[in-house]
Amino acid sequence: MTASRAKVEPVTCLGCGCVCDDVNVQVSDGRIVAVTPECPVARTWFGDGSVPERVLRDGAAAELSDALTEAAALLTHSAGRVLVYLAPELSTQAQRTALALADLLRARVDSATSEPAAAGLLAAQRRGRATATLGEIRNRADVLLFWGVDPTTRYPRYLSRYALDPEGSHVPGGRRGRKVISVHVGEARGPAGAELEVTLDPADEIGALSVMRATVLGNALDPLPPALQGAARAAGELLSARYAVLVHEAEPSRLTPDPFRAEGLIALVQALNGPTRAALSSLRAGGNRSGAESVLTWQTGYPLAVDFAAGFPRYTPSTRGLASAGAGVTAVLIAGNTAGLGADASATLGRVPTVVIGPRASEAPFTARVAIDTGVAGIHEAGIAYRMDEMPLPLRPPLSGRRSAAGTLEALLTVVHQRLRERST
Amino acid sequence: MSSRDALRITGGSVHDPANGVDGEVRDVCIEDGRIVERLPQGAPTLDANGMVVMPGGVDIHSHFASSSCNHARRLIPDEHAANPALAPELLDGETPARSGTGGTVPSTFTTGYRYAGLGYTTAFDAAVAPLTARHSHAELDDTPCVDGGIFVLMGNDEYLLRQIEAGERDRARDYAAWLLQSTGGYAVKIVNPGGVEAWKGGQRNVTGLDDAIGGRKVTPRSILETLADAANALRLPHPVHIHANNLGVAGNAATTLASMEALAGRRAHFTHLQFHCYGGGNGQPWSSAASKVIEYVNAHPEVSTDVGQVMFGPAMTITADAPVEYLLHKSSGRRWTNIDIELETGCGIVPLTYKDKAAVSALQWAIGLELFLLSQDPWRVVLSTDHPNGGSFLSYPALIQLLMDRSVRDERLKLANPRLLAGSALADGLAREYSLNEIAIITRAGPARLLGLTRKGHLGPGADADVTIYSRETDLAKMFATPRYVLKQGALIVEEGQLRRALRGRRLRVAPGYDPAVLPGLKRHFDAFSSVCFANYPVQNLPGDPVPVG
Ligand code: SF4
Ligand SMILES: [Zn+2]
Repeated sequence: MTASRAKVEPVTCLGCGCVCDDVNVQVSDGRIVAVTPECPVARTWFGDGSVPERVLRDGAAAELSDALTEAAALLTHSAGRVLVYLAPELSTQAQRTALALADLLRARVDSATSEPAAAGLLAAQRRGRATATLGEIRNRADVLLFWGVDPTTRYPRYLSRYALDPEGSHVPGGRRGRKVISVHVGEARGPAGAELEVTLDPADEIGALSVMRATVLGNALDPLPPALQGAARAAGELLSARYAVLVHEAEPSRLTPDPFRAEGLIALVQALNGPTRAALSSLRAGGNRSGAESVLTWQTGYPLAVDFAAGFPRYTPSTRGLASAGAGVTAVLIAGNTAGLGADASATLGRVPTVVIGPRASEAPFTARVAIDTGVAGIHEAGIAYRMDEMPLPLRPPLSGRRSAAGTLEALLTVVHQRLRERST
Repeated sequence: MSSRDALRITGGSVHDPANGVDGEVRDVCIEDGRIVERLPQGAPTLDANGMVVMPGGVDIHSHFASSSCNHARRLIPDEHAANPALAPELLDGETPARSGTGGTVPSTFTTGYRYAGLGYTTAFDAAVAPLTARHSHAELDDTPCVDGGIFVLMGNDEYLLRQIEAGERDRARDYAAWLLQSTGGYAVKIVNPGGVEAWKGGQRNVTGLDDAIGGRKVTPRSILETLADAANALRLPHPVHIHANNLGVAGNAATTLASMEALAGRRAHFTHLQFHCYGGGNGQPWSSAASKVIEYVNAHPEVSTDVGQVMFGPAMTITADAPVEYLLHKSSGRRWTNIDIELETGCGIVPLTYKDKAAVSALQWAIGLELFLLSQDPWRVVLSTDHPNGGSFLSYPALIQLLMDRSVRDERLKLANPRLLAGSALADGLAREYSLNEIAIITRAGPARLLGLTRKGHLGPGADADVTIYSRETDLAKMFATPRYVLKQGALIVEEGQLRRALRGRRLRVAPGYDPAVLPGLKRHFDAFSSVCFANYPVQNLPGDPVPVG
C-alpha cells in the first residue's frame, strides 16, 4: 500500500490575523508535508500538524471522564472566584462554550489580546473609528501610511495579498497605483521603499499626530519645529489621497508605544473623512484572537475584562489579563493554547489550581491540575474564526481525528451544570 | 410541558385578524407545536378567561443580530453597565439561561429573552452584508426564543452594479438568488441605492434617482428596478425591502415618492418610512410631508411599509447608509464608527438621543404617528421603531399606547417642541384610536403576511403555535409590556410574566434557484477583487430547511 497523499484546499490559516483562506496544504500519512504559498509564519503555525493527545491530572496520565469530573469539581468549588481565560487557537464555537462556563461559574473572563490590544479597543470605545475590510483596502487604497510598523515579519502576506501589491478595482496599477508613506517612530520602523519617509522621536509622536490632524482639519500650524515638519508633509499626502489607509500594530509586543498613539490615529483617520475617504487598518495577531472579542461582545456587551461575579457581566477594563488571577481567584480555566503565556503568567498559574483545555494543554509551562489536549482550530477543528478586520471565515481543517476543544468544553459545561444543580438542592 | 403536548387555551378574547376573528371568546387548540382545529375532551387547558389572545408578535425590521450591531454594542459600555441583566430563572431541567446586558443594543441572549417577554416570537435583522452573514447566523444561534432571519444587502454591490451597467438584468437576478442561498438570507435589502458606493468612492452620496454612481451608467433608479424585479421574478416570500435615498434629509419626501413611482405596479416594501417623509429643504425649514406620502401608499396596494417610529429617549443609529452617519457624527459630535465593506456595502454607527425639546426630534415623532393615524390599510403599515435606530423594541408597548389612546398622545404632544410642527396633521388634531384588532394587524398578522410567512401571525389550523396572552389593563403600555403568557411552538415560555423556558429559535431563510451559468463569471469576479475565496463565501451548515419560494 502506498502512503496516502492528499492536497486539501483552500485551507484557512490562523498563523496571523491575515487569516489567508487560500492556503494549500499537502498531507501525507496524516502529517502536513507542504504549505503553499510560501509564508514563514504559516509554515511554523501548521508545522507537521502533530499535537499531543494526552489527558493529565497533576501531570500524570488520566482518563478523560475522570479529568472532566476533577475539573468540574475544582471549578464548581471555586464558583464566584474562577478566572476563565480565552487563549488562542480556539474556534468561535469553543469560545462561546467557554463563555457559557464563565457565566455559569460567575467567573472573571479575559482573553489573550486584552493586554496588548487594550489601548486601541478602549480608544475605539471612546471615539468609535473609521475602518475597512482588507479587501476594501486592496481595492481602493491609493495612499498607504505605515505608522511605525512593517507588517512583513509578523504578517507576512499582508502587503502582497491585501494592502500593497495587488491590483484593485479602483487601483488597477497595483503597487504602481499606490503611494507609500513610512513613518519610523524611534526603533519602530515602517517598510522600506516608501515614496515618503518620516522619522519621529518617540517623544514627538503624539505631537506629530496632533499636527497631522490639525493639518487635515485645515488648521495649519506655522511655523513648525523641524521635528514635526515631516508629519505635516505626510498629512498633505494623505489629503491628496482618494482613499487613504493608515496601518498600525494593534498588538505591540516588544516596544511599548505611547498609550495615546491608538487614540491619536483613530482621531486622525476620522478627521480625514471630511476632506477625503480614509480607513485605519489595525494589525492583529492570529489564532482567532479577534473572535474572542467578538463573542465576548455579543454575549456580554463588552470586548474584554468581564466579571460575572455579580451574576451578570460587569466591565473591569482596568483589571486585565492573567494578572487578575492574583487576588481572590482560586481556580483558573484556560481554554486554548498556553504557548504564548509569559513567564510571569506561568508563575502565577503555577500557584493557582488550573484547568487547561486546548491544543498542547499537556505542554503548558506549569503543572496544571487538569490538562486535556485537543486539536487546533483550523488544523484539526472546524468552525469559524475571525480575521484582523473582524470578518468571519470558515475553518477547513486539513487533518481530523483529534479531540475537539468545542466538544470537550461542552462536556465540561454539562458536568459543571450537573454539579451546580446538585449543590443547590 | 413539552412542545409535543396538547393544550387548549380557553376563555380568552381572540384577536386573529388573518382569520377574521375580532375579539370573540373561543378556544385555541395546540398540538405538536401547531394550532389544530380541535382537541379531544380532557386535554390540558390554560385558563385565559378575561384575557386577550393574539398570535406571537412579528418584527419585520430590526437590528439585533449582525456584525454592525456588535460594533454598536462595543460603543456603549456605559449603557450596558447601567442595564445589567441577570440570567432568568428557568424551570428545572432547562439548560441554564444566560446573563447579559441591556441598553439600546442588548447582548444576544438578553435580546431573545426580552423579545419573548414582550410577546414577540419572530424577528428579522434587516441589514446584513453578505460577507458577514456567517457572523449573523452565529449571533442568531445565541438569540433564543425568536425565530429569526436576515435581509441581505445588495443595493451597492459591485458585481450587481456591473451587471446593471452591462444591461445583464437576468444575471443580476440569478446573482441575487445565489446570494440569498449562499448567505442563508430571507429577503433582498436595498439601502440608499448607489449612495453607499458613492460614499466609498469619494463622491460622498447620491441625491436623486438619476444620479450616475461613480460616473458609471448605473443610477439609483436602475438598482431599484433591477432588484425589485429580481425579488418578484424569484417569487420570494417578501418583496424587495427598500431603505430609500436621502434618509433623514429635509425635503426627502420628493425622493421617497419618486422611488415609489419608479416601482409603480411592482410589489415593494419601503422601510422606516418616517425617516423619508420630510418636507422643507432648499432654505425652507423642515416640515412634515407624512400626509402626502401616506396618501400615495393608501392608493397603491402593491406598496407596503413599516413606520420606523422615533420614540423620545436614547437610541443607537446603525445603518449601512454610511454617508448619513458621517453627517450625523458631524452634527451631533457623538462617537462614530464607519466600516467600509469590500464590494458590498458600508456600515455607520452613531449613538443618539431623541429629545422632545429638540425641534427635529419632535417633528420625527409626529411624522411617525401621522403615518400610523392617516394610513387606511393597517395590513400594509407595520409597527416598527427600526430598533434601535428610532428607539428600542422595548418601546413598542408605549407606542401601542400612543396609537390606542388619544388622550395620552395629546398630553405627550404638549411636551414636544412645536417649532417645526406647523402644518402637521398630528398637531392639527387626529382623533383616530387604534383598536385591539388593528394592533394585532400591525404587530403580527400584517408583517407575517408581508413576509410571506404562512405559518406566522395567525391562529388558524397549521399555524405555528406562537401565542401571546395579555391580561387586560387600563394602562395599555403596561398591558403590552408584560404579557401574562407567551407560547412558542406550543411550549409555554413565559408564565405569569416570567420567562420559564428559552427555546432555540428556528432560522427563516430561502434558497431560490438560479441558473448555474452565473457561477464561472462570479468566480472570476471573486478571484479578481475579493479577499475571500469563492469557495469560502457561502455559509455552510445552515440550520433548518429553507422556507419554500414561489
Ligand atoms: S500571512 Fe498570516 S494568515 Fe496568511 S498564510 Fe501567512 S501566517 Fe497564515
Ligand atoms: Zn433599519
